[in-house]
Amino acid sequence: MIINKTSILVLPKQGLKKIITITLVFSSLRTKIFTKRMKAQKKSKHKIDEYRISIYKYIKMICLLGLLVQATLLKAQDVIDLSGTWGFQTDVMDFRRGSLSPRYNHILQETIKLPGITDDYQIGHKNPYKYIDRLTRKYEYMGPAWYQRDIEIPASWKGKKIVMYFERTHWLSSIYVDTKEVSRIDYVSVPHSHDLTAFVKAGKTHRITVCIDNRFQYNTHKWNHAHTEFTQINWNGILGEMKLMAIDPVYLEDLQVYPNITDHSIKVRLQVNNDTKRKIEGKVSLTITGTNHSLKKEVAVVSTDSVTFVETNIALGKNMKLWDEFNPNLYQISCQLTTSDGKNAYQHEKKTTFGMREVKQGKNHVLLNNHPIHLRGNVENAVFPKTGHVPLDDASWERIMLLMKGYGMNHLRFHSWCPPAAAFRMADKHGIYFEVEMPMWGKDAEPDEARYNFFRREIKAILKEYGNHPSFILYCNGNEITGNFDFIEELTAEGRKADPRHLYSGSTARTRVKSDQYYVSQQTNRGPVKVYEGLPGTDWDKNMESDVDVPVISHESGQRCIYPNFDEIKKYANSPVEARNFEVFRDLLKKNGMLDQANDFFRASGALTVLEYKAVIEGLLRSGKSAGFQLLSMNDFPGQGYAPVGIFDPFWDSKGLVTAEKFREFCAPTVALLRYDKSSYFDSETFRGKAEVYNFSNSALENAKIKWWMTDTAGRVLQKGTLKKQTIANEHVSPVGEFEIPLKNISSQKVTVHLAVNDTIKNSWDIWVYPRHQNLMQSTDKVLYTDIYDDAAKKQLAQGKTVVFYPSPASVKGRKSMFHNHFWNPIMFAWAPMTIGNLVHHEQAMFKDFLTSYHTDWQWWDILNYAKVIEMQHTPQQLRPFIQVIDSYDNNQKLGIGFEAKVNGGKLLLLALDTKTDMDKRPATQQLLYSIDNYVNSDKFSPQVTLDETFIHSFLTK
Amino acid sequence: MLKTVVFPMMTFLLGQTLMAQEIILERKAPVSQVYKEAVEAEDALPMNDLNIEFGYVLYQTEINTDTDTESGELELENVRDYAVVYMDGKLQGTLTDKGKKLAIKADPGNHTLQFYVENISRITYGPEITDNSKGLFGNVTLDGNNVQNWKMIPLNVRNYPIKDLVFEQNPGTDTPGFYQGQFDFSRPQNMYLNMTGWGMGEVWLNQRYLGAYWEEEKQQSILIPSEDLVPGKNELVIFELKNNQQKKISLSPTPIFK
Repeated sequence: MIINKTSILVLPKQGLKKIITITLVFSSLRTKIFTKRMKAQKKSKHKIDEYRISIYKYIKMICLLGLLVQATLLKAQDVIDLSGTWGFQTDVMDFRRGSLSPRYNHILQETIKLPGITDDYQIGHKNPYKYIDRLTRKYEYMGPAWYQRDIEIPASWKGKKIVMYFERTHWLSSIYVDTKEVSRIDYVSVPHSHDLTAFVKAGKTHRITVCIDNRFQYNTHKWNHAHTEFTQINWNGILGEMKLMAIDPVYLEDLQVYPNITDHSIKVRLQVNNDTKRKIEGKVSLTITGTNHSLKKEVAVVSTDSVTFVETNIALGKNMKLWDEFNPNLYQISCQLTTSDGKNAYQHEKKTTFGMREVKQGKNHVLLNNHPIHLRGNVENAVFPKTGHVPLDDASWERIMLLMKGYGMNHLRFHSWCPPAAAFRMADKHGIYFEVEMPMWGKDAEPDEARYNFFRREIKAILKEYGNHPSFILYCNGNEITGNFDFIEELTAEGRKADPRHLYSGSTARTRVKSDQYYVSQQTNRGPVKVYEGLPGTDWDKNMESDVDVPVISHESGQRCIYPNFDEIKKYANSPVEARNFEVFRDLLKKNGMLDQANDFFRASGALTVLEYKAVIEGLLRSGKSAGFQLLSMNDFPGQGYAPVGIFDPFWDSKGLVTAEKFREFCAPTVALLRYDKSSYFDSETFRGKAEVYNFSNSALENAKIKWWMTDTAGRVLQKGTLKKQTIANEHVSPVGEFEIPLKNISSQKVTVHLAVNDTIKNSWDIWVYPRHQNLMQSTDKVLYTDIYDDAAKKQLAQGKTVVFYPSPASVKGRKSMFHNHFWNPIMFAWAPMTIGNLVHHEQAMFKDFLTSYHTDWQWWDILNYAKVIEMQHTPQQLRPFIQVIDSYDNNQKLGIGFEAKVNGGKLLLLALDTKTDMDKRPATQQLLYSIDNYVNSDKFSPQVTLDETFIHSFLTK
Repeated sequence: MLKTVVFPMMTFLLGQTLMAQEIILERKAPVSQVYKEAVEAEDALPMNDLNIEFGYVLYQTEINTDTDTESGELELENVRDYAVVYMDGKLQGTLTDKGKKLAIKADPGNHTLQFYVENISRITYGPEITDNSKGLFGNVTLDGNNVQNWKMIPLNVRNYPIKDLVFEQNPGTDTPGFYQGQFDFSRPQNMYLNMTGWGMGEVWLNQRYLGAYWEEEKQQSILIPSEDLVPGKNELVIFELKNNQQKKISLSPTPIFK
């Protein structure tokens, strides 16, 4: 190391007083060292040559206790693991300040094991209640709690900086050394590092008392997923790594790596802190390792000041490997700082993982390494009922990342929270793109300086702590924010300025701000971009609505409610929470005489949700001008009324509704798509399909062979053909051709249209084909068809004959029938339909000529949208409607659209269905009526349950 | 150091060359052309009861003001989410859930009171979450007296075929309506319509829906994708609910934020 020049120059932007520049000649590195200095010096200019090191100086006003003279070289980094048993005491009454015997003056009277949370030890209020709107926490605790340990500070730690580190805690942690409070930290999203240097003595045993206060420290929204009782509970405890560290007084406070993929280089920015108050000299040795890659560089460090920034550019060479979802190549960098103040030598090491990737704002897409990516994402809401808290270990997060990959996803939006490092590590490893947020929601942007300052600290902390992770591509302040958007703009602009490695957005689904680089929303100023439900036709997209000044991501799409699976109740035996709401729902179902149907309700509504998600996701994939989507959600959301919208339960266990392989047919980097007008046809019609290929894989499909074919329910191929062989570009949704299938001579009611690209990319769609029926519902002497329950109908029944009663929907009390199951959940959004799909008793004889599953599928569209839901709770328990509507689970009444019964000695079949409007456009309704005609005229029609006539009158409006 | 001087100058010059193109909106179609079937009721009904999920409804009633008061205080119990108030065709002001009182001036006698109400979206959190009623509902009072006998007219703004609107030379009236203008464009490229000064409404370009705007938003521009522009004459139609008396609008090469 040769110091060959020294001079002074002005750094205008930072407003620092003066700067000294020292130029060092040093191998082939381009290196800068900045040291900030408050002491005024004379202004001058200096021409900087290629091999330069600038040192900007400033002395931080810190107070150091004791002498820092040590003749021998200390061991670089010493750590005392703090996990294990701690003294413990609750402080439910929050009397620590007023007490004459503050907790920290005494040995705490109980013990607890850390890392852990109070719930693990059944501490707190034993909860006697059954919450309806969420899982019930078995032992609730919100308040200060005290944790204590006597710790001997090793004599060898003399002269070192001593830091107490908690990887994650809620929300305020305060450290008392013996009888003094010495440090308070209230970050939510990042570790708490308490600097105890000035307060502990090497060689002495100190009583360390930690107060963890999980009360809301600011007046923030109570739903954010960092704290909410709705998902991960608002726990009290310390999680993850917890340790006491001794660090040499010259150490690396920060290490940030900024990839430059054009130059195949990285810029490493180090913050060197020097607590010695002396001039130090030395070097940083940087070691970079990656697959088949190893590099070593050295940079000189000279500083007389407390904070020095070292910047160096390091070329990785032409063999550099980029990071993306397809090839998540990672590098490790280790920085060894070795310095000396002439008497003592100091060492410190800092490491991080990074990936060579750049994120930019494209016209409609996020650009990763200058290529448009399309985000297929899930909204991640910190649902962890097994532990009641976010996992801090790699294995738990790896499981989630692998599930994402397995189901064709490449993205997670951390909704109003930021996960711990393990989540980023596993996303880095498996190539998942993260959007992370602060614990911010709703009115959090309304003026409140204390709260604003909390968020100002929090955003900086998140960027510093997790900024190196290549998976961290998007940052948003929080969810659906209202209030002062000047504040939101301030945060967003600050973020952009602080760290260009991510794209920034002000708020999801609310007011746009100038610094937005992308926008997650239900709607733009050009229309809705969310997709909550499918349609029986697929010739639509969200392209026009998504085309605004920034890339647009579809916010919280999906949200289709499934009936709860009561088998999940037992899974909570060892959890801090219980599904007591499920017990209430189950008991209500039992009381209403339908407990035996619970599993059928779950399966039927679950199947409907799966086909809705296929339609929703394909709609969003057809939207090539959309930057992507965030599904709410792959897993159930156990709060906000309890929203079982997932194909996974809250434990991320599959509900068995769809396999990963089937899911990937419609959610993957490459998906075959088909646009068509409708799902139900008359056999005189022609099916017309417009094929498209969504290809956001990392390569074009060269000379792709595209095949289509149609099969019947037995799998026999009825028709087939090919489209023009062609190369299908990636980063696009491409039309690849059209085909027609005349439907005459098709006798199978349900057929499947398949589309395959190169035999590897496959997708399929069920359509229904029916003959036209004339002369339906013709009354005979034996069977009377009527839309009014009049004397003629009564007489017919009294004669022991058959009546088919099809009241018009307007004449039936009760809810409107709807194809879709309820949005999110019926407790939070008590609007129509307040039903969760339908259970079809498909094996019964009235469906002999109408092909259906136990669940409703798209052929039911033209039936259900013309029907009315009859409240049937007050009918005999044995009476089960053959088209049974699944009620909201907090109501659990028996509901139906069609049923049969013995009434007044005759046989009644009732169908609350409009059989007149637009019948020439309702092939499935025609077919259902045809099937019922055949049934009521056959000897199979033999209702078993007797129903009192008064019930008929009870549901009619007149 | 040289660079930092040159840059702002370049920006300045660039701004000069990309002069905003102004479009004059000379013709107007009154909102009455998109009235749907009216519903009459004693009390104002929420949009939910009118089977309106999203969009606009005109709530209209006749009032009789006292002989001895010249101005009165209008107060709503609920308005979701935004109402523009007219009396006898004159703009009186706007109301939102956060400001539900408005002083109106009226000579003694009979007057027509109109609330053009927009339902921006559903409530997704907060204390009102379990009541997602929209529009105007609950008590409406003028100086403490209940205002009743409402006519509620849904407005088919979003789905009305623009080609069917009948425009006339702008009569300069205050009431909401559709404004029409034309402009020439030679080089199709992405442009932004600068909505600054306009109140609330929606825009169509060449009879294709373009987007919506509201003066309360920070975002004050709507993207016009290059493919929506045709070489030569382009037709712009703006539905304006509040009627800020704007007669022109401009195009900008960049998005506009407040």
